[in-house]
Amino acid sequence: MNAWLLAAAVLAVGGLGPCLLRGLRGEPQERLAGLNLAATVASTVLLLLAQGFSRTSYTDLALDLAVLAPAGTLVFTRFLAGKEH
Amino acid sequence: MDRHVVALVLLCAGTAALLLAAAGLVVLPGPYLRLHALSPAATLGAPLVALALAVDTGPGRAAAKLLVIGLLLAAGGTVTTMAVARATVRAGRETRR
Repeated sequence: MNAWLLAAAVLAVGGLGPCLLRGLRGEPQERLAGLNLAATVASTVLLLLAQGFSRTSYTDLALDLAVLAPAGTLVFTRFLAGKEH
Repeated sequence: MDRHVVALVLLCAGTAALLLAAAGLVVLPGPYLRLHALSPAATLGAPLVALALAVDTGPGRAAAKLLVIGLLLAAGGTVTTMAVARATVRAGRETRR
């Protein structure tokens, strides 16, 4: 196990765990905050895994997540905001 | 060899920032304070890790791609943090009414 895989393991437990905890309970906006942070941490973990396993093509997964996750979060905020009145 | 040490230092800094942000998301009280945990993860943690990977990879196309991913994470995280903050403010206004 090299440093990249170790960092990925630490982040997967210590980073994604609290995000899941926050995402599973509370107000919808707070859940969305948890989801937002989870997307950032997950794409970082994917980057680290790609380096740790020396498979550079795996970084495409992180790239996809970095592009698509903000779009998904923006759609969710749009639904949550509802209509202005 | 030196490059590897620099990469490890950057990796430790980025991982620490991400872990602190995740802890802040749970520990900080109230929805507005919790929002403060989102931006350091996106603007500091993830780009630092991407920079560490790029430094370790060395100059070339792969490093440029990693840096682009880091920039994308920073920009996307900032935009979504502002959008979530706006939704939170609007929800607070609705409940107060």
